[in-house]
Amino acid sequence: MSIEPFNKLVKLAARAFYDDISAKGDNQPKTGRSDNRGIAVVVLDALTRRQWVREEDLAKDLKLHLKQLRRTLRFFEEEKLVTRDHRKETAKGAKAYSAAVAATADNLTGREGEEKIKLHTHSYCCLDYAQIHDVVRYRLQRMRKKLKDELDNKNTVQEYVCPKCGKRYNALDAIRLISFEDDSFHCESCNTELVAESDKIASQEIGDGDDNARRRRREKLRDLLQKMEAELKPLTDQLSRVKDLEAPDYGTLQAWELRASVVARGSNSDPSGNDSSRSGQGGTPMPFLGETKVEVAFSGVEEKGEIKSESAPMKVLPPWMIKEGMNLTNEQRGAVKQESKMEGASASMDLKDEKKSIGHEDDAKNLQDEYVKAYYAAILQRQKEQEEVIKREQDLSTNSILTDVDPSTSRKRQREDDGEGDVELEDTPTAGILWETFKVDLNVEAAEPSDDEGDDDDSIVWEEG
Amino acid sequence: MFFHIVLERNMQLHPRHFGRDLREKLVAKLMKDVEGTCSGRHGFVVAITGIENVGKGLIRDGTGFVTFPVKYQCVVFRPFKGEILEAVVSMVNKMGFFAEAGPVQIFVSNHLIPDDMEFQSGDMPNYTTSDGSVKIQKDSEVRLKIIGTRVDATEIFCIGTIKDDFLGVISDPGTTS
Repeated sequence: MSIEPFNKLVKLAARAFYDDISAKGDNQPKTGRSDNRGIAVVVLDALTRRQWVREEDLAKDLKLHLKQLRRTLRFFEEEKLVTRDHRKETAKGAKAYSAAVAATADNLTGREGEEKIKLHTHSYCCLDYAQIHDVVRYRLQRMRKKLKDELDNKNTVQEYVCPKCGKRYNALDAIRLISFEDDSFHCESCNTELVAESDKIASQEIGDGDDNARRRRREKLRDLLQKMEAELKPLTDQLSRVKDLEAPDYGTLQAWELRASVVARGSNSDPSGNDSSRSGQGGTPMPFLGETKVEVAFSGVEEKGEIKSESAPMKVLPPWMIKEGMNLTNEQRGAVKQESKMEGASASMDLKDEKKSIGHEDDAKNLQDEYVKAYYAAILQRQKEQEEVIKREQDLSTNSILTDVDPSTSRKRQREDDGEGDVELEDTPTAGILWETFKVDLNVEAAEPSDDEGDDDDSIVWEEG
Repeated sequence: MFFHIVLERNMQLHPRHFGRDLREKLVAKLMKDVEGTCSGRHGFVVAITGIENVGKGLIRDGTGFVTFPVKYQCVVFRPFKGEILEAVVSMVNKMGFFAEAGPVQIFVSNHLIPDDMEFQSGDMPNYTTSDGSVKIQKDSEVRLKIIGTRVDATEIFCIGTIKDDFLGVISDPGTTS
């Protein structure tokens, strides 16, 4: 999803079409002080740097008055450039958003303030890139068509407007409009004489658009068309560049939040100061995510147990699944593995080869397998190393809370609090989302109740807050 | 464009026509009713050319009228967008001019008149080229192209253009007479 060309498109379009759009309503007189043309461009530019954003936050960032921003955004919504979402939400809902923001922007500003908000309607906005692409193309097409039609005077239906009541007619109504008193067109409702619609671009400057001016008008139109093509060239170029690209799509607000929080979970594993708080945040608004993970873990565990109890090594566990903790819980299933592990402690390559020979000998020659092997070996080695470190630490300290301030073990300490028995289950925290699930499933047996408690605690705290 | 089609209509006949020449009466009434009317679907009914069949009459309760379903062949005229027609100018004003091609009215607005023709007001309003060689006024015959139609249930109205090759005045009554 390449966003850069689309952002450029948005910026070009903003400057081409929305440069002189004022955020004020048209009925309000423009004074020099309140002339805020160009605000539209600023807002659009700001939106290109964001995904879904709460409008209050955007206003704060742009140092704009919220009302003014809303007016601009409403305008853009009508122009189909921006999608907005309004929802009534409690502090909890706001949490979901700020969690998502935290995941994308990695800043946690203003969270404390938002906790106090109770059931307010919040508006969010986001650029709709796919639609912008269409809108801009359509707009260009309409501009071109209007000019060309006027230039050729082709198939255009003349329009007439009543100067008094503003009612509009076109040439197809002509037969009804004709008045036999003076052979000209009269308004049906107020009987005023109609004038030919003069929205024609070129005729505006020339005046009443009488017949003698038509030739000059033509030249003017041709000029205008050429100028338009020249001045909008960057935009059309960008459009053609973007044409075959897939437009970035953030989806609806809910979908985006979900995705962002998943990402947040993925990045939770890195050891940082606000780690625990953020993981709790991601978990509570969308409890089902956590649940699904747990279920997957359960099935995995059961499967493993069954196979191992039969002591038939039909399915060999991949090396990275084998943990010290598993061996401890059911001894007999780990018999083979433990052996191999003991051997592999020194040379992990040997161990892995051995396993492959047991499990699937036929496809052992595949390059892919080779790569996988190497990968497993690396992971295994890292696990080993870490387990050793843990063991050493455990030996040193008592079974209760560790007292050293090593950042790499901060998470482990936390786990130990949860359940003392499964310290060994700890794995390397860097292996991504897949890894994450495994980590969870290994913890399930011992740590599940405590996890739940933690979640409950968190949610309660938020509702109070 | 003209079409020769078969249409059907339920005719109500007053009991006083019942007799030896019921059928003739029925056809005469049909012609009187139908010819010259316009339907949005088929266009103007120009003429009835024949009767296909007359169904069984049904006497209506209370009135004594009899309803006959009649199938008849007729010629219809329906203008289409893009069609070239020859028409007679019926009125000229500064907005353009109206022309009639048989039953259909066509309006040509002034921006669909060639740029070199200009409106001359006066006793006989007209559009004239700068050298005065071509003049469009009432009763001129013009060839025009239909660029838009408005089809209602009971009427059809067109707008046309003479701003294209081979369109415009065919013969000018002012010059011939």
